[in-house]
Amino acid sequence: MKEALTAVGRSLPRAGLAAKVTGEARYTADVKLPGMLHARLLRSPHPHAEIISVDTAAALALPGVHAVLTPFDPEAAGRLAPDMTILSKRARFVGDEVAAVAADDDSLAEHALQLLRVQYRPLPFETDPQEALRPEAARIHPGGNLCGGAPMLLERGSVERGFAEADLVLEETYKVPCHSAAALEPRAALARWDGDGLTLWKTSRGVHQDRSTLAHALGLPIDSVRVVAPPLGAGFGNKDESRGAAIAALLSRKAQRPVRLDYSRHEEFVAGRVRHSAVIRLAMGVKNDGAITAIDNSTLMNTGAYLASGPGVLRRAAQGSLYLYRCPNVRYQGLLVYTNAPVAGSYRGLGAPQGHFALEVHVDRVAEALGIDPLEFRLMNHVGPEGQEGRRRSPRHEIVDTQPVEGGIPFSSNGLRECLERGAEAIQWRGRPASNPLRPPALRRGTGVAACIYRGGPGRESTARVAIHRSGRVTLATGVIEVGQGAHTVLTQMTADALGCRYEDVDVVSGDTATAPEAPITAGSTATFSSGLATVKAAAKLRGSLLDVASTLFELPRDRIYFNRGLVFSKDRPTELAALSDVAAQMPRGSLEAEATVTPGSPDYIVNSFAAHFAEVEVNLNTGGVRVLRYVAAHDSGKIINPATAVNQVEGGVSQALGLALTEELVTDPGSGVTLNGSFLEHKSPGIAAYPHLQTIFVETEDPLGPFGAKALGEPPTVPVAAAVVNALYDAIGIRFAQLPVTPDKVLDALAEASPRPRRDP
Amino acid sequence: MSTAPTQPFTSDVTLTVNGRKRTLTAAHHWTLLHLLREALDLTGTKSGCDRGECGSCTVLLDALPVYSCQVLALQAGGKEVVTIEGVASGPGLHPIQEAFINEDAAQCGFCTPGFIMSAYALLRREPSPTEADVRAALSGNLCRCNAYGRIIQGVLAAAKAMREGAS
Ligand code: FES
Ligand code: FES
Repeated sequence: MKEALTAVGRSLPRAGLAAKVTGEARYTADVKLPGMLHARLLRSPHPHAEIISVDTAAALALPGVHAVLTPFDPEAAGRLAPDMTILSKRARFVGDEVAAVAADDDSLAEHALQLLRVQYRPLPFETDPQEALRPEAARIHPGGNLCGGAPMLLERGSVERGFAEADLVLEETYKVPCHSAAALEPRAALARWDGDGLTLWKTSRGVHQDRSTLAHALGLPIDSVRVVAPPLGAGFGNKDESRGAAIAALLSRKAQRPVRLDYSRHEEFVAGRVRHSAVIRLAMGVKNDGAITAIDNSTLMNTGAYLASGPGVLRRAAQGSLYLYRCPNVRYQGLLVYTNAPVAGSYRGLGAPQGHFALEVHVDRVAEALGIDPLEFRLMNHVGPEGQEGRRRSPRHEIVDTQPVEGGIPFSSNGLRECLERGAEAIQWRGRPASNPLRPPALRRGTGVAACIYRGGPGRESTARVAIHRSGRVTLATGVIEVGQGAHTVLTQMTADALGCRYEDVDVVSGDTATAPEAPITAGSTATFSSGLATVKAAAKLRGSLLDVASTLFELPRDRIYFNRGLVFSKDRPTELAALSDVAAQMPRGSLEAEATVTPGSPDYIVNSFAAHFAEVEVNLNTGGVRVLRYVAAHDSGKIINPATAVNQVEGGVSQALGLALTEELVTDPGSGVTLNGSFLEHKSPGIAAYPHLQTIFVETEDPLGPFGAKALGEPPTVPVAAAVVNALYDAIGIRFAQLPVTPDKVLDALAEASPRPRRDP
Repeated sequence: MSTAPTQPFTSDVTLTVNGRKRTLTAAHHWTLLHLLREALDLTGTKSGCDRGECGSCTVLLDALPVYSCQVLALQAGGKEVVTIEGVASGPGLHPIQEAFINEDAAQCGFCTPGFIMSAYALLRREPSPTEADVRAALSGNLCRCNAYGRIIQGVLAAAKAMREGAS
């Protein structure tokens, strides 16, 4: 199959782009139905309150208002998650959904919201996770404020022993604030009932997961719910929740009309899903020769008012500390805490950007204390293809959990060393100037490095269906949603090469529970790996059936025939026998179809992606402003299926994460619980003007387990960015920032405290 | 509590949209964005914020790029509006649209119509922009996928293609 690649590995045009550049593509908020009403949500002004009553009479009396939903409607008690119902008589943060109205148009709906009379009984509240753990703290959910009732504890070896062996132990606390994913497209949901059947169009990252959540919450048989996902204006891990869609569905049933709910930008900031803020205490023990003897990481994360994907995020925050460096003694203690703050959830990289920020800044600190160059220290200590030292404890035949803490299990592939080497070469790490005396006196430049290890790839079970029709067109049915990352493009390329058809002949069927097979939610960078494997397997199966047809047709043994780029060849003749569509036209039935389900993973290996990032920054000592001048991102994501879209993913991920490093923070006022800066102007995301000169390198290890050798790519680009920038800042001005984002005021404060002393000045 | 009238004040407004003269009844509080998306169903113009912060609603108003969410529908009376649906002159694609596909100048595509409108305005007044010109002209548009590198390449490639096409 390898020599016949005609689609995989090529920069073919991104699927679906033509309809987007013309404005033709309809996203959820662009879908309209006859008689459709517009819904608006009433949000809590209190961070924590009991809802005593809601008087809806005045709102319902308003002409043009067709339905009101409150927590006192019995159907609103349906459960969306263990800690969340469709509406609740308890508001848990400023912005929590309290009631909803459907009206002829959106301004009328908004007016009706003002006529709802809600009686609240305010309760004591907590916005700080540390405070929320006090025994006397206000209880946000019945089980207490510590999620799961206990810390997450992961351990290899004994850190006590490791610290005892160390010549040097350094400890520091790092802080990452919460910030918003702020996808450009606000959330939306449109509900329509046909008798007892419900169709929902919604911003979604997994129609099957959404369908089961919604059917359960609404008390409907799963078959009577259809969820459709129009093109998504990006998710970045967000948009996996269904409260808005459930509310739209209930309003629609009451009004007997289709109802669409659109979030405003402000609602997106306040009631979307933010990245978990984290306080990370890190201690590292080393020998004088640079060997790491112990890593101890205690992480406190704020999940806000609801759990959402919190436990997974907390687990990912451990990733760097547990696996990036060879170390026999590691410990991770993670605390996930409820507060009366905006809800945290999945956001590109989950907890890994937070954890890597702490680890990779700390590593620079340790290297400096030992007098070792930061790059050399990493080259000495990074984990190699053999994985962590130690003995495997899990049974031999069992598929390796994707995150084993124990040693003794190798990686399926590991190009981390090459990422470090090639990235260093590109940024000219070893030849970089020892000082920068030529700049204007107010400017300082510096270079920093940070590495990344990321679990991504093997996800849950994935199914794909590939069919060929008499016309010769091929359809790939996959549950993977195109969230903007290019998943459909790479799956189409894989289909083409695994089947032997042309890229242009493949249509993707997805994003609709009525037609697409089950797939896990588009998360954890699983699309290329897990769904890719299912796709390749289904396409190969279909190729087998088609070979049978061709074999009869051309009276040749099956194994003398092959397909390539939509043509049928005999191994014994240089020219093609026919077009694949000619074979398709002879199929006994109208179409041939093959389905495959895979549980990716292996009993023998861990599948991880790797990266090394290098940043060159310039600091203005007068303004505190930081510019990223040059950036090199070297990635091992296995074989790159589509170089153009992959580069776009990396560049976008890096630029997006510069927001976390330098500008973005969503601020909740501790005195009132109010979100203070819920707008693009005040929660400042990177723009085109400051976009740095960015170079992407793929080291392309071919992973033996991945489809065509590919591994995960979507999230790793965001993971090492903040640390690379902060390390470069230290190189420039000799100040080691332990708290993000490094805004100009923080730079000026730090400069005022310590007069600037460029570390490498003569 | 507010007792605003439930029937909004309306007026007729006549404007040219993508070359076609239209007369519509618009509520006084409607923005141009609302008129385009809801009354004319031109949903290619996106609403990323509805408050002048993101540029996803960019259209041309008498040849100048504006945030259509910051223009009242009635203010557009007598004026000429071009939206993403009116950029291509025939059934094919405009060179900017083509370049955005060839250079992969998008990911989710939600910001794309707004960026194309800003680029369209730029290339009408400056057929040979520098990279700095492109960055400046597009700095009112936000792309949360941060596809900026590809977008810059896309606009520069479009400029080149248009210059070559014109000569
Ligand atoms: S929608 Fe008009 S600027 Fe954002
Ligand atoms: S491509 Fe997604 S916002 Fe620009």
